[in-house]
Amino acid sequence: MTAVDGVRPGAGGLRAAWRGGPARFALVLGGMILLVAAFRILTDFGVFPESWNIGLADPIDRARRWLITNQNSHWLYTVFLNPLTDTMDWAIRRLESLLKWLPWYCYPLFTGLGLWWTRGRIAGALGLAGVTLIGVLGLWNEAFATLALMGVAVLVSMAIGIPLGIAAWHSDAVARITRPTLDTMQTMPGFVYLIPFVLLFGFGRVPAMISTVIFALAPVVRLTEVGLRTVPQSTVEASEMFGATERQTLRLVRLPQARPAIFAGMNQTTMLAMSMVVIAAFIGAGGLGQVVLQAMRSINVGKASEAGIAIVVMAIILDRFSTGVATADPGDDLPAIRWLAVVTAVGAVAGGLAGLNEFPKALGWRFAPYVNSLTDWARDNLYDIGGSGIGTGPFSDFVTTQLVIPLRELLSSGIPWPAMIGIGVVLGLWARGPRLAVGIGAALAAIGLLGMWELSMDTLAQVLLAVAATLAVGVPVGIMSSHNDLLRTALRPVLDFFQTIPSFVLLVPVITLFHVGRIPGIIASVVYALPAAVHYTDLGLRRVPTETHEAAESFGATRAQRLRQVEMPLAAPELMVAVNQVIMLILAMVVIAGLVGGGGLGLEAVRGLRRSDAVGRGFEAGIAIVLLAAILDRLTRAVADRLRPPAAV
Amino acid sequence: MDTAMEAGSEASRVRVEGVWKVFGRRAAEARDMAEAGAGREEIREAVGSVVAVRDVTFQVSPGETFVVMGLSGSGKSTLVRCVSHLIEPTEGTVEVCGTELTQADSATLRDLRRRKMAMVFQHFGLFPHRTVVDNVAYGLEVQGIDRRERQERARELLETVGLEGWGDHHPQQLSGGMQQRVGLARALAVDPEVLFFDEPFSALDPLIRRDMQDELIELQMRLRRTLVFITHDFVEALKLADRIAIMNDGAFVQVGTPVEILTDPADDYVRAFTQDAPVVKVLQACSVMRPLEGTEVDHGWPKVSETTPLEAVLPHLLGSTDPVLVCDEQEAPVGLLHGDEVAGVISPDR
Ligand SMILES: Nc1ncnc2c1ncn2[C@@H]1O[C@H](COP(=O)(O)OP(=O)(O)OP(=O)(O)O)[C@@H](O)[C@H]1O
Ligand SMILES: [Mg+2]
Repeated sequence: MTAVDGVRPGAGGLRAAWRGGPARFALVLGGMILLVAAFRILTDFGVFPESWNIGLADPIDRARRWLITNQNSHWLYTVFLNPLTDTMDWAIRRLESLLKWLPWYCYPLFTGLGLWWTRGRIAGALGLAGVTLIGVLGLWNEAFATLALMGVAVLVSMAIGIPLGIAAWHSDAVARITRPTLDTMQTMPGFVYLIPFVLLFGFGRVPAMISTVIFALAPVVRLTEVGLRTVPQSTVEASEMFGATERQTLRLVRLPQARPAIFAGMNQTTMLAMSMVVIAAFIGAGGLGQVVLQAMRSINVGKASEAGIAIVVMAIILDRFSTGVATADPGDDLPAIRWLAVVTAVGAVAGGLAGLNEFPKALGWRFAPYVNSLTDWARDNLYDIGGSGIGTGPFSDFVTTQLVIPLRELLSSGIPWPAMIGIGVVLGLWARGPRLAVGIGAALAAIGLLGMWELSMDTLAQVLLAVAATLAVGVPVGIMSSHNDLLRTALRPVLDFFQTIPSFVLLVPVITLFHVGRIPGIIASVVYALPAAVHYTDLGLRRVPTETHEAAESFGATRAQRLRQVEMPLAAPELMVAVNQVIMLILAMVVIAGLVGGGGLGLEAVRGLRRSDAVGRGFEAGIAIVLLAAILDRLTRAVADRLRPPAAV
Repeated sequence: MDTAMEAGSEASRVRVEGVWKVFGRRAAEARDMAEAGAGREEIREAVGSVVAVRDVTFQVSPGETFVVMGLSGSGKSTLVRCVSHLIEPTEGTVEVCGTELTQADSATLRDLRRRKMAMVFQHFGLFPHRTVVDNVAYGLEVQGIDRRERQERARELLETVGLEGWGDHHPQQLSGGMQQRVGLARALAVDPEVLFFDEPFSALDPLIRRDMQDELIELQMRLRRTLVFITHDFVEALKLADRIAIMNDGAFVQVGTPVEILTDPADDYVRAFTQDAPVVKVLQACSVMRPLEGTEVDHGWPKVSETTPLEAVLPHLLGSTDPVLVCDEQEAPVGLLHGDEVAGVISPDR
């Protein structure tokens, strides 16, 4: 019977009841609505009562003050934290000064050679041009600051991550701890990592680096473990049979075969580190992120674009290089590359000794003025085209007043808070079972008790709208691309490009057009999440076996019927994964958009990072973001699992 | 070589006694049920564990080729893994080259594996990240032999298996037959006394499989190692074996020379295999002959070599009433084939 109604063995009885009986589900839901209505008529629930605020902010603020006053006297700092800070700061500084000592020309040359080696001549030429562009834009020193911080963070991530991955592979006990921890870490928007470290270390590059390491650690740990686990048992047996010790087998057989996976992890870790180092400008990490941040604060879109482009160039070079390293095959060009590398290295040392480190000023060129005049032009001409009430401005206003605000009001006060919690619980119960239901209920209640109810609902409203918009565009495009190889090939580089850009930078072009407010944040997050929506939809539909297609076709199903009755249901779990990814990306972006007037939790968190008297509120907002992320993530993943056909017996 | 001297001093290279392997929990219970005669499925349903090998005992003498033949799932791989100690037997003792593996600590076992035994795997088990020559040199590298020496030895062995010039390729660039040659060279590189083969040729095309079998026979004639060879192919077993063990449901149902198995199958299960076997093609003169042992011979009798298949001997036997003389490589007579005895081996209702 279990196989018939789709309940997998081991499911709890309650869960079976939910799955088996939609009628019962409807009954409970109806009962809940009645209950909520009664609540509403008899009492006046609305916004979560302010008097219930547990006031976490005060102790946090007090702790922050205590930390500031005791920074130079308490043993925690003198014995432990300050030496740690000093060492890391020293490492970053050393790397930075080494980078600055080398002559400017060796950077474009080495980058060009590196990309030539990993990806071919064209990539090499583009890399050379890209690095030169950073110098031309006068961002040389900022780029070094970013690179040094990132370099140290990536090295530390590898140094921790690879051994940790090996440990997780080796010992199930370790894996039982690392896996859920990494899962949780990956659902949190990078931004919230900054908060606790600012609390502990204050502003600067060291907290930036630590939060970067933690944010970027997950992929390299996970993929090292996966890589080791998927090494074919037959090769391990063969090695054992030759009397290899465990260490020999690890070194000679397992690790080399796990190498592609480990490299993939290193690539992802590098890219996460890149995006985090940029965001870490919020806590004084300096570098290119700082330039973007300052320019955006003063609405100098031109300057922000220049630094933004420099970041994108750096990100793409790092991505292309680190994905290519594992498979580098320069063929006949290898001798030339080697020879040129030696020449460049000699030239680098010579130039360093001769003090040719400054990028020549004569080569400078700025496009900020052009972008600024373009922005002005856009504001004058596109914001409200000819006073007609059509343009980006009225569009923003319309969306804000007709969609964002009403939805926010509905979520925060229209639906009484007990009803919101009730809805969360019911969804959890339906999607997975009692445990998830209790978790969601508790998380929502905690958000209320932190005094973050209204702000969270504001953020949730923005997220929901952005998700709706993303799916409305992304899913159809994904469907088309799954049916059309040509479109897919054309989309590929575009999607790759957008996925490489650090989230923060995407805000720049959007505020050019839409100014500040909630709308640019929503639009930027749609743009940010769109590639994922397209990619996963396409992937899900393409996974449907050809034979299934053919079977449907042989019954004379039309294309639309096939899509509706066969492909979409079969791809449903993948589509739900797409929704999950989209939600997580959008949440991360909406939070950062607090910077450009996005309001909600993001703004509160940004404020907490900026003003030391708002740290407590910022911390509360950070926790609320984490809770919101956890709820949305678990819920969508549970639905995805529910949609999966029962496993084969 | 001193290994040859050691070989002479021992009665058997591999000694397996009362080996059981039960996968899953409640091993003792499963074992007791098996002793009481329950089948594998029955036990799996009752206690949830699989009795993969039940009470297997055998010995292999130096230079002998011992073939274990059984259908898929009969427990052959599990048995050979118990013997090479890749997995721990649930019960019983295993002795290889005079060392009892079940008692040995990991250092002793490792040492034994480095110097005395090697294995060739069904799916080759080659290292995809190493070149062919580095694959072959692996066992030597593990022993700590320096790079030049092991490469040299590896190239020698590649020549032995007919793969000279392929050393710098990666195994996945080679065809299946060539890959298994690499597997064989890799095993031979450490100069082992005992070689385990777990269905080494099953993944190969029939024609390539036959070539590989012929080459293995030839190699074995030269090297005279102790081989434990697993197969599900009865013809392959007949062709290679000095002795065959037929395995069913985890247990040995019959152990004997190919001729014994053919002429005197222990039960219907074994008979089912013998009936369809192309005996005259597979059996060679030396495996059916009666050793001379001082019998007077007439040098006018027809002569064949030891490796002549029976089908080529038959015309001589049918043409006259004389027996046929079997001679070794030096043309010295070593055995006799009598018409009536050969008829007993090849007749369909043996
Ligand atoms: N690790 C294991 N855990 C549980 N059961 C196992 C394990 N390995 C093998 N078995 C079971 O033991 C039985 C014997 O398996 P084994 O692989 O030894 O058979 P085989 O004769 O080598 O078959 P094949 O010709 O398919 O290789 C099978 O029923 C198999 O399912
Ligand atoms: Mg097997």
